[in-house]
Amino acid sequence: MTSPRLLAGLPRLRGVLPLLLLLILWQVTAPARSPYFPPPSTWWTSFEAMSRSGRLYPALASTVLTFAAGLAIACLAGAVLGMLIGTSRAAKRALEPLLEFCRGLPPPVIVPVAVLLLGYAESLKLLVVVWVAMWPILLNVAAAAERVDPLLHDVARSFRLGALASLKKITLPSIVPPLMIGVRVAVPLAIIITLLVEMITMLPGIGSLIVTAQRNFRSADVYALLVLVGLVGFVLNSLFVIVEDLLLRRFPPRMHKLQ
Amino acid sequence: MRQLNLSGTLTILLVLAVWEAAIRSGLVTYEYLPAPSAILVASWTLLRSGELAAQTLHTIGAVLLGWAIASVVGLSLGLALGYSRTVRTYLEASLELLRPLPGIAFLPVALLIFNFSLSTELAVMIFASVWPVLINTMGGIMSVATRLHDVARTLRLTPARTVTRLLIPAAAPSIIVGCRLGLGTALVMAIIAEMLGNPHGLGYAVVSELQAMQPERMFVYVLAIGFLALALNAALVAASRLMLRNRG
Amino acid sequence: MAERSDVPEIFRADGVGLEFSLQGQPRRILEDINLGIKRGEFFTIVGASGTGKTTLLRVLGGLQKATGGAVTFRGQPVAEPPEGAVVVFQDYSHALLQWRSVARNVALGLEGRLDAAAQAERVRASLRMVGLEKNAADYPWQLSGGMQQRVQIARALALGPEAMLMDEPFGALDAMTKATLQDEVLRVHAETGTTFVFITHDIEEAVYLGDRIAVLSGPPGRIHTLIEVPLPRPRNQIETRQMPEFLRCRLAVYDAIQAAGRR
Repeated sequence: MTSPRLLAGLPRLRGVLPLLLLLILWQVTAPARSPYFPPPSTWWTSFEAMSRSGRLYPALASTVLTFAAGLAIACLAGAVLGMLIGTSRAAKRALEPLLEFCRGLPPPVIVPVAVLLLGYAESLKLLVVVWVAMWPILLNVAAAAERVDPLLHDVARSFRLGALASLKKITLPSIVPPLMIGVRVAVPLAIIITLLVEMITMLPGIGSLIVTAQRNFRSADVYALLVLVGLVGFVLNSLFVIVEDLLLRRFPPRMHKLQ
Repeated sequence: MRQLNLSGTLTILLVLAVWEAAIRSGLVTYEYLPAPSAILVASWTLLRSGELAAQTLHTIGAVLLGWAIASVVGLSLGLALGYSRTVRTYLEASLELLRPLPGIAFLPVALLIFNFSLSTELAVMIFASVWPVLINTMGGIMSVATRLHDVARTLRLTPARTVTRLLIPAAAPSIIVGCRLGLGTALVMAIIAEMLGNPHGLGYAVVSELQAMQPERMFVYVLAIGFLALALNAALVAASRLMLRNRG
Repeated sequence: MAERSDVPEIFRADGVGLEFSLQGQPRRILEDINLGIKRGEFFTIVGASGTGKTTLLRVLGGLQKATGGAVTFRGQPVAEPPEGAVVVFQDYSHALLQWRSVARNVALGLEGRLDAAAQAERVRASLRMVGLEKNAADYPWQLSGGMQQRVQIARALALGPEAMLMDEPFGALDAMTKATLQDEVLRVHAETGTTFVFITHDIEEAVYLGDRIAVLSGPPGRIHTLIEVPLPRPRNQIETRQMPEFLRCRLAVYDAIQAAGRR
């Protein structure tokens, strides 16, 4: 088929029909004040109301900031620790069982433990996000650092690069693609955990807004916030894709995928 | 044959020993950080009273049930999407819009509808776990369908046989991966739902012990969740190895 | 033809051996290697698989330590890769830094040793020598196999080494690319006077390129025969390969390999 690329994507838009039909059906059949299934038009009105009341944007900012800061710190910590573990066989063997256990621990469990140890402080949110988002990054970087092509080690020695130069010129660039793969996994995880912490601790953020709305049976608010969360997630993911593209442009295409 | 990781085991023991010594000697006075020995005592108490078993069973039961339903739904949808281009054209975009919704944001909606019950837990689990199963099934079927389409035609297989005898077995590795991911997701969602929505199970126990200021008991439940996750994963890896043992 | 017997030896191996133990059993890879490679010589090494050719190259290049005997480069014992010798590997795609441009790959050995202007000049000169000046801004993964191998050669040349050690550098390339690169290597040899130690399993390549050929037997690897190649330079793909001397050398190498295999 020789249809131009842009037009080739359009027929897929037909796939939106079921969702659209569902929303329309919902709008038409649900009573305006339904406690469980308020029609979509009410979502928009409650969104406007929340937005005007001044509660929405500070909460949104808090959530997005925690996510961004947490992810950034997790990248740094994951990269550094991953490199340390990946390049030292002794460290890897000593820490392996501990790492496996921490990795397998479902992220939600971290929240009560952190609350116990740190109390309901703002730093709690950030620390939990960092901890949870760090693991996929750390593990990916460690695996990659371990697997740097031995031939590159020979090249480094043949050109008499010192240990520091070796690290900077060969090991570090080699881990950028796996780092991005780890971050790709960490992004949705960080979003979920940020919301979870807010929901459990009621610290400021979209999560606590949703819980408040639900406890007060303001169902339209709940749905409106749900859509908002979906949109925010979509935007954050798209931003990540752009950054990933920029960083991986100079790497051969085969390294962009999971190995 | 796996050799015992000596330095790894020693590291864990060292951490536990330092932890114990620090608390006992008063060097570290975290009001709420219990010593490993205290956790051990609490776990014995909870075992004997049957509470640990009861909560664990609830979580396991809920996870398996939710995962089973999610797998059935995910498989069926994934199959339909993978097999038929028409279905894909008229459905895929809708699903892609729904997928980014984090399962956790769905919890308050479930609470509104089902209140504090098992249904909430199941609803949240199913909503989140369907996706890995669906996507992997769809991807698996699509990748084998192109190759095997001609095989099916030349052997003049009926659509039903094509699907059951040809496509599903060929896509089995992808499907199994999807189910494994789905189980992991189901466990995470179950814990979340139990913490916030359904007052039963290990997730609920952790939060309730936190609020009752019982750190030793809380840690017991935390460790229980950790071990449950390991056990489920190990069981699944073994099962998938068994199912795929005849392949290269 | 200039007399080379009075030219000093750049590489010297005396009684060199390499052995290690695998699962409790001792394995000898090299045994009693004695050779002297003359400065400016094109020395090729051939042998069947498993005769330890690559290991010998790595020992000469300082990437591996001999467990017995003495290896010297310019009279100094070799323990680590010595200043003045560079290794070129067969697997070019893994030996190059795929995330660096061609120019920056070639500069790898110069960084921290020369200032920016001198680096740029050396890089330009090396790329010119292998005919890749126009590809300085490309990435290795955008280039063909032959071009990537040329980048590796340029990278080695940028250091202005006295010796280039090449481990089956053209083994992964097609016949036409191979022929082109063989001639390039010969041209570099003629222009710079660098000593070449070249491993190959291709007998014809060994004769076409070399001044002397060492045939290895093994395992464990030993020097079975040393064959002189008295062919005139510059060499030519068509003419040289048709000379009776070429055919005679080729036969001698072939016989030596057969004999080595029978031991």
